[in-house]
Amino acid sequence: MLDGSPTGGYRSPMRRAQTPSEIAVVDLRVCDRCGLCLPLCPPEAIHLELADLVVDRGTCTGCRKCIAPCPVGALKMIAA
Amino acid sequence: MRDTDVLVIGAGPAGSVAALEAKRAAPALDVVLLERDPLVGTPVRCAEGVGDAGLREFADPIDAPWVARKIRRVIFLAPDDTEVKVAERDVGWILDRTRFDAFLAARAASDGVEVLVATEAAGMHQLADGRWEVRLRGAQGDETMRARIVIGADGVEAMVGRWAGLDTRVPARDMESCAQYVLRGIDVDPDAIYLQFGDGIAPGGYAWIFPRAPGIANVGLGLVALKADGRNAQEYLDAWIARRYPGGERAGYTVGGVITHTTIKRTYTDGVLVAGDAAHMINPLSGGGIVNAMKAGRLAGRAAAAAICAGDTSAQRLSAYHADWMRLLGDDHLKYYRIKQALEDLDDAFFNSLARTVNAIPSEKRTLGRIFAHALVKHPQLIPVAARFFI
Repeated sequence: MLDGSPTGGYRSPMRRAQTPSEIAVVDLRVCDRCGLCLPLCPPEAIHLELADLVVDRGTCTGCRKCIAPCPVGALKMIAA
Repeated sequence: MRDTDVLVIGAGPAGSVAALEAKRAAPALDVVLLERDPLVGTPVRCAEGVGDAGLREFADPIDAPWVARKIRRVIFLAPDDTEVKVAERDVGWILDRTRFDAFLAARAASDGVEVLVATEAAGMHQLADGRWEVRLRGAQGDETMRARIVIGADGVEAMVGRWAGLDTRVPARDMESCAQYVLRGIDVDPDAIYLQFGDGIAPGGYAWIFPRAPGIANVGLGLVALKADGRNAQEYLDAWIARRYPGGERAGYTVGGVITHTTIKRTYTDGVLVAGDAAHMINPLSGGGIVNAMKAGRLAGRAAAAAICAGDTSAQRLSAYHADWMRLLGDDHLKYYRIKQALEDLDDAFFNSLARTVNAIPSEKRTLGRIFAHALVKHPQLIPVAARFFI
């Protein structure tokens, strides 16, 4: 199950300048909900809710800063 | 819609101490402590080690049910496995964080703090009168709560700070990616913690063994992904364990992030304070956060109570909390951060050679001060490291 759409109405107040070719998504089968990726996201596009990690697709700039630090490799890039 | 004076978000060590201290400082105030998970203290995302003196400021560990093990020694392992024992005294404790966090929250509750579990803060905004309205999501559905002061103790995620307009972001070089197993059936000194450095083991961080009982230990590591070879923390840990403890039985597993940064520039705004991991109040050399969180929570709880009693919850008034924290520990963290940066320039060969230098000092004379002086003479590469500490 790949997550990526805001379920709880969360949207980052930050707006990106350009639409990226790729954005980050979370594989919720692998994700441990540790929250490490949240403060790494420059535009604050990632938000953790009770059971779901949410990447705001309209905010992710595709910078990949969240990809390698995930301890279990749950974040992946997909075509925007 | 409910009203409270102080709303603390997150019932870890920072939040439980903040709530308790606010209530004790001003018992007439309503203090609510919010926890997202159904049980305070679960899940554990921590290696659970804590220094003796810092812990005793907040709780007595002797015969406490929330202690797993007393630690008497620290054993450093150089990248080539050379062992260096550097302390032979009562250095600290391995906690049972599930029980410890529950103990702190229960103590707050017995002093009159209302603890709400299985309730998540979903967002907040400031009202015209200066109070904050927080959206809560729990088993009974959604509700809102108005608070004069919100204390964000919500850990690495730091959403409260984000909602309040504080910058809680972390540069990738200052985030350690951690993985840890509870291993059974391993042969280690049950009274010692082990720390191993090495670019091939835990680049930019270290691997640890924290014993919980004879033969059982938290075995984990933290690394900086920017310095890694493409493998994630879990893969580095599996490789380290396969080499050192191939027979260990895996009884538990956790992952998480440790912020080895320095305190965020602003830990306060109108009606909001942030404390603990949420404000990056972590020793950037050791990654230790438990005592830092409790000390910050104590300052935050007292500052919140005093501000409400004085009828002034403005950012200007609450800025004293930030100044108090920086004087207490925040400024020390800046020094440790500079040391961390300087150590990053040193390689495995240096640490292997340093281990041999230190082992040449008779163990009964191996104090930290003597190690430091000896190392400076033998390893001039350390002089810039030392210089950064004193500037």
